Amino acid sequence: MIRSSPNLPAPHAPQAERAGRRRLSRDERLAYLLLLPALGAVFVIVTIPFVLVLIQSVSADDGTLIGLRNYTRALGNPLLYDAIRATGVYSVIVLPIEILLGLSFALLVHRTVRWPGVRAAIYVLAILPLVVPPVAIGVVARLVYAPSYGVLNVILERVGLTHHEVNWLGDPTLAMLAVASVDIWQWTPFVYLVLFSGLQTVPRESVEAAQIDGADWWAQFRFIDLFYLRPLFLLIIFFRLADVLRVFDHVFILTGGGPGTTTQLLSLYIYRVEFKFFDSGQAAALAVLVLVSFSILYRLISRALPLERT
Amino acid sequence: MQPITRREFVKRTAVAGAMLTSIPAILEACSTGTPTSNKPSKLTIAAVQGAEDGPLKKVAPMYQSQTGITMEIVEFPYDQLFEKLVTTFQANGSSYDLCMMDDPWMPKFGTMGALQPLDSNFGFTRDSDIPSIVYDVGTWPPPRGPVPPSEQGKTQHLYGITIVGNVEMFMYRKDLASSPPGSWDDVLANAQKFNKANFYGYVIRGKATNPASSDSLPILWSFGGDIFDTSWKVVLDSTASIDAITFLTQTLKKYAEPGAENTDAGDRDRLIAIGQAFQSTTWPAEVTGVVEAAGVSQVAGKMAYIPIPKGPSGKGLGMMGNWLLGIPKGSSNGSAAADFIKWLIKTDNMKTYVQNGGIPTRTSLLNDSTLGQANPYFPALAQSLAASPNWRPRTDQWNAVETIYGTAVNQAVAGLKTPKDALTAAASQIRAAMKQAGYPS
Repeated sequence: MIRSSPNLPAPHAPQAERAGRRRLSRDERLAYLLLLPALGAVFVIVTIPFVLVLIQSVSADDGTLIGLRNYTRALGNPLLYDAIRATGVYSVIVLPIEILLGLSFALLVHRTVRWPGVRAAIYVLAILPLVVPPVAIGVVARLVYAPSYGVLNVILERVGLTHHEVNWLGDPTLAMLAVASVDIWQWTPFVYLVLFSGLQTVPRESVEAAQIDGADWWAQFRFIDLFYLRPLFLLIIFFRLADVLRVFDHVFILTGGGPGTTTQLLSLYIYRVEFKFFDSGQAAALAVLVLVSFSILYRLISRALPLERT
Repeated sequence: MQPITRREFVKRTAVAGAMLTSIPAILEACSTGTPTSNKPSKLTIAAVQGAEDGPLKKVAPMYQSQTGITMEIVEFPYDQLFEKLVTTFQANGSSYDLCMMDDPWMPKFGTMGALQPLDSNFGFTRDSDIPSIVYDVGTWPPPRGPVPPSEQGKTQHLYGITIVGNVEMFMYRKDLASSPPGSWDDVLANAQKFNKANFYGYVIRGKATNPASSDSLPILWSFGGDIFDTSWKVVLDSTASIDAITFLTQTLKKYAEPGAENTDAGDRDRLIAIGQAFQSTTWPAEVTGVVEAAGVSQVAGKMAYIPIPKGPSGKGLGMMGNWLLGIPKGSSNGSAAADFIKWLIKTDNMKTYVQNGGIPTRTSLLNDSTLGQANPYFPALAQSLAASPNWRPRTDQWNAVETIYGTAVNQAVAGLKTPKDALTAAASQIRAAMKQAGYPS
């Protein structure tokens, strides 16, 4: 092995450096070596499947390459647009409600609860919905909304709010609200936890200075808290949008995508294309289209909500 | 001992680790694809979780104690089992020596060539005590009805043996009605007669896709409708088909439970079991699991079970929902797996299986009065099997067809579309899917 001496220039060193191919130092080599297992895992778990999906999306069942035919078929299926519409409606319901509720809880706890024990208890309560398996949540939600024996109808009738059974899962609008409510219940705590931790980073001096200047709670929120929370909104929207595209379990259990296809979200639609229609090419094309669309959407959102505080 | 450098230690550890981790792969590679006649130490069964595999779990230890072969039953929910089997078969995996299969899956697995033939490889022959339809449903290509274009000309083989002799039947409250409904008109008349507040004249299992499909197909057939004709031409938008679905989703629905578009088997059983409904279609597992279960049901002993009533076509056609056992091609324990199936369907062993909640296929057991006392639906099941019930169209595209058809029926039940509009749109989608799969459109 040739070692470069600190006193003598390495042969052809200027050319190599010009070409950007200087020899790695021992520390750099070690750093790369240490990174290798993690990169290897990412390569095996993420990159290889993605490349396989890309190949599958341009292949027929027998493996022959067919260009963009799977994409054409995927985009030509009217059920795709039903699924996009359903996913859009679902997102428009759950995201604003989860963010507003999560923000309200975070501000409320941040400003009113001082005792650490109560804060810890709220923290634990907020974690609980996040760790319950979505399938279990779906089953419980079905007991709440089910026709004829659902708990919600019983309560509504007992308190006199309704005098007949509300068809929560059979009416298209109510079914969408029912599946969305499950998402809101499970994921509002996530928004709360992120924003609450963001509020902890707001410097106390800034708040006190604002209070001395006579700022009311709304001014404090608008000009101080919001400034520190803005990057977190991007994080929340990014994670929640990604989650909405993967929503499956509770919708499958509650409505099975029905009535008709009114709650058949994109994930359920792609699942059916793959595992009911066994159309792997079209399912792969759909997966790639969703990924590309989501990346574009993310770029647009990140322009509106920059990650850095400005 | 000479000390070694750190670099040398890391190198030696890496080499030793690589060798150790590769040993199982090398052993696996040596054993793959070499079927052995030696007795294996274990047989692994991929099974569906629920009432269908419960009796199997109870009798498997008996086989284990007789042969010394450990029986491992790996359970999956219905949908997951199908997906797991398809992906395993695509990879020609050897994870399972036996697999439970719902009968509509047979075309998919038959077309894939995923199973080992039981007749030519392991000497299975037909038993006169088991209705021939039971063997037919495990045979591929299908011995009757239309054959998929890709399968025409292939030699027929037996690939699956039924271990759960499910056929869809009809149940009604015998303590309220003086005679069984002979036709769907009688069903409607009874629904009108007995319908009252908090007591529904009929229960529709109308949840989207599989439930709505399973519930409506016997009515569709009994009205003379169908999804395909004998040459795979889609006839779902025929007058008879539309009449059948109109009857279910509009005429009969007037007397059905609220939220029928979201009712699945569990909801139906609950309504029947708490005495809030008069009649519906049913599957054997629902009868033993809920409707006749002591301590669970308020109507145990009050229900009667009959074959599917006749429709305007003059026929009452039940639907098969047999669960079969097959041997995946990837299994290297085929002989031992076949021995287990032979053991399970022997009359004595099947009797024990039935005593543990199993649903038999042997006519002698279905007509056994002692067993019939504990299983009041056995005579209806025997009649249904003897009358050669319909099976779902034998195409590997069935899952796609069922999803489209079951969604259309659900739309009609929910009132989102008229039966005619829903079926016309579904027929168009099915035509496109079948054309794509190489069927005549």
